[in-house]
Amino acid sequence: MAVAAEGPGGLRLVALDPEALALGLRPGEPLGRVRARIGVPLRVHPADPAADRDSLLRLCRWAGGYAPLVAPFGPAEATDGLYIDVAGASHLRGGEAKLVDDLAARLARGNIPARIALADTPGGAFALARHGGADRIVVPPGGAAEALRGLPVEALRLDPGAVAGLKRLGLRGIGALDALPRGPLARRFGEALLLRLDQALARRPEPLAPLTEAADHAAARGFLDPIGRQSDIVRTARDLMADLAPRLERDGLGACALRLALHRVDGAVRTLDLGLSRPERCPERVAALVSLRLDRLGSGLDAGFGFETVALAVTVTGAMPARQTDLGANSGGDGVGGDGVGFLADALAQRLGRALLRLEPRASHLPERGERGVLWVAGEGPGSSADQGIGRLRARLPPPSEGEGGPRRGSGEGSDVSGCSVTLMKAGAPSCTVAPLSPPAAQGTLPRRGGREMRGSDSSLASPWPDHLPPRPLVLFPRGEAACDVLSTVPEGPPRRFRWRAQIHRVAHVEGPERIAAEWWREPGEPRDYYRVECEAGHRLWLYRDGPHAPDRPAAWYVHGLFA
Amino acid sequence: MGLDPADETERTPAPGDPRMRLAALRAQLAPPVDGRAPRPVLPLGLPALDAHLPGGGLVLGPPHEIAPAGPADGVAALGFALALCALHLSRVSGEALIAAAPGEPLPYGHGLASLGLDPGRLLLLEAGSDAEVFRALEAALHARALAALVGLLRDGLPLKPGRRLQIAAEGPDPPLLLLLRPAQAGMPNGAATRWRIAAAPASRDRFGTLDRPRWRARLERCRNGRGGDWLLEWDHAAHRLHLPEPLAGDAAAPSRSRA
Repeated sequence: MAVAAEGPGGLRLVALDPEALALGLRPGEPLGRVRARIGVPLRVHPADPAADRDSLLRLCRWAGGYAPLVAPFGPAEATDGLYIDVAGASHLRGGEAKLVDDLAARLARGNIPARIALADTPGGAFALARHGGADRIVVPPGGAAEALRGLPVEALRLDPGAVAGLKRLGLRGIGALDALPRGPLARRFGEALLLRLDQALARRPEPLAPLTEAADHAAARGFLDPIGRQSDIVRTARDLMADLAPRLERDGLGACALRLALHRVDGAVRTLDLGLSRPERCPERVAALVSLRLDRLGSGLDAGFGFETVALAVTVTGAMPARQTDLGANSGGDGVGGDGVGFLADALAQRLGRALLRLEPRASHLPERGERGVLWVAGEGPGSSADQGIGRLRARLPPPSEGEGGPRRGSGEGSDVSGCSVTLMKAGAPSCTVAPLSPPAAQGTLPRRGGREMRGSDSSLASPWPDHLPPRPLVLFPRGEAACDVLSTVPEGPPRRFRWRAQIHRVAHVEGPERIAAEWWREPGEPRDYYRVECEAGHRLWLYRDGPHAPDRPAAWYVHGLFA
Repeated sequence: MGLDPADETERTPAPGDPRMRLAALRAQLAPPVDGRAPRPVLPLGLPALDAHLPGGGLVLGPPHEIAPAGPADGVAALGFALALCALHLSRVSGEALIAAAPGEPLPYGHGLASLGLDPGRLLLLEAGSDAEVFRALEAALHARALAALVGLLRDGLPLKPGRRLQIAAEGPDPPLLLLLRPAQAGMPNGAATRWRIAAAPASRDRFGTLDRPRWRARLERCRNGRGGDWLLEWDHAAHRLHLPEPLAGDAAAPSRSRA
């Protein structure tokens, strides 16, 4: 049996099983030549690197049971394997030798052929595992140089060119290489060779890229009898959080994100990531969120024969001053501002997998770019505590014009802006933001606009929303919907009748136009003339004409929004 | 007859006054029948409307159903619901949640100002289905953290989720719960009121421009109340509903404006 993948010059062998190796096949051979050379039928599977990677990562997560720091082999190693940093963790299994035995036994039970080496450095362990004499090697501390002396230079994780060059010079062993003066070696083969040599011999440290950052705050619980019931998992999570809470409290931290890892008996690991809208260390709340998440997963969380280890790690922490947690936990949190909403946001995120959004204005005059939904974050944004929070919010909210525009006001706004939040205006394009066409719309001092103040009684204080815009529709379509059969009295005037959504609309009243230019610094486009239109049936629509009217080009009309 | 003496003594104080006994029995039976203390309501500020509603306003807690009169009136219904929301938010502190089924139009932030609703006090949730909307509303009712809840439904409110919402809304300090559903005939459900909203020509200010939105609102069903039909006008600055005066500011009066 062999695995083949697309290589230079067609399909080539990638991996072989022992029988195929016994036939004299080698990885890298072209498949066509192999088929011609050997007479026996060869079963060939297409290579699936993504699945290989996945299963390696699964193995890494499984190996996390031995020590928290596990790193899969990267491109430098060019083979499949993983590092486990057992420093400080080997005594849990009764010593290094027993750990290696245990690991080998478990891998053998899972039908995974493996070569295991334990050494002072990742480089040394790699060299011994790949090129050492035995399947299981444990090097005593400080014995790396001795153990590596006899190994070939390929064991140093060098690129093939360097290996070939060394061999041409007759340098076949690491010991021979180490005996040479370093200067000429570096000149000839580059710094990488010495780096690899030093890393293997523990002269230079080698940082591993771990699969998961080892969490500062983590707790785990093992079970003699595997657990499978949801209530047991929730209770375990609660107990683990109760273990962590004093440690978090001592550090003045709260958990912003948690990872619950469920180790199944058969070695599969199921991780649940819980995001929290604000730092939290109350065990009941965490348990409630875990419960909601398990509710949503339902049978998707395949318990199999049960979970033998449940680990809870705080992956992201946030500052959280000491506060009483017990009383607020069950009362629904009405007393503390934004607390209940925060818990609701977390509950919805766990139960539905959907986040609460908040609308935020954007510094753009194009209506469809004028707002966006941002994730609701506790304590941020207006209204988390309605009345007393306004002054504080005002100080904390960043000035909304962090975009391209400066605080300078565009020339088009003119006298319209007295006392309004001018910083919102994108004034980076001074001549061409909004240039309202009709004089009444341009002059805020006209009595017409004076009669229609657009500010809510309490919202005008700290609201980042501009309150000097002409009326905007209640519902805005993401893009304009074409209005056809437009009939207007004058060619460049507003429509008198049009068809939209298979219905004829007769216009009873028109206001406008309001010209909104395209953002030429983003993409070219025609300026739009917006009209506010009321139909005879009482529907109020926001229509625009795309581009100015020209004799050779009929105007295209679009419905962009609906007023209440 | 083997009546025991205890029974006899209990009977003696009011043998000849059945009315008193009846009153005592009524008092005994009243709480479960009548509900608990009178539920808080949101008065609409119009005596003509509030007289039709039990308790003098929209009762807080149980769902209120708002449906457009026709397929084109969806935005009018949304506007009416958000106006009620703004009316409630102007009286209490807290935030409002809008949970929308897919395909239902979400309000545009800049347009909320013309309804007097602060976008900063609005939370949005884009749910994946009607069932998720119900679940989100139920969670919000249990959390007791929000002042108003609006659900935008694609199909409507069936009986079972309606009942669940009703139960979840029990408790102190319930929020205003509004459900918008499409125009098709709805199923029977536990909604406290059902409104039909149609668009109507807006009022004009003295310069003849569009001023306040108006809706033709029909109270189709109202538990313990009467139905009705009104033309309502929303004043976003004062957060008040008006009944437009018959003569002033009639939308039909000004002739078609010239653009």
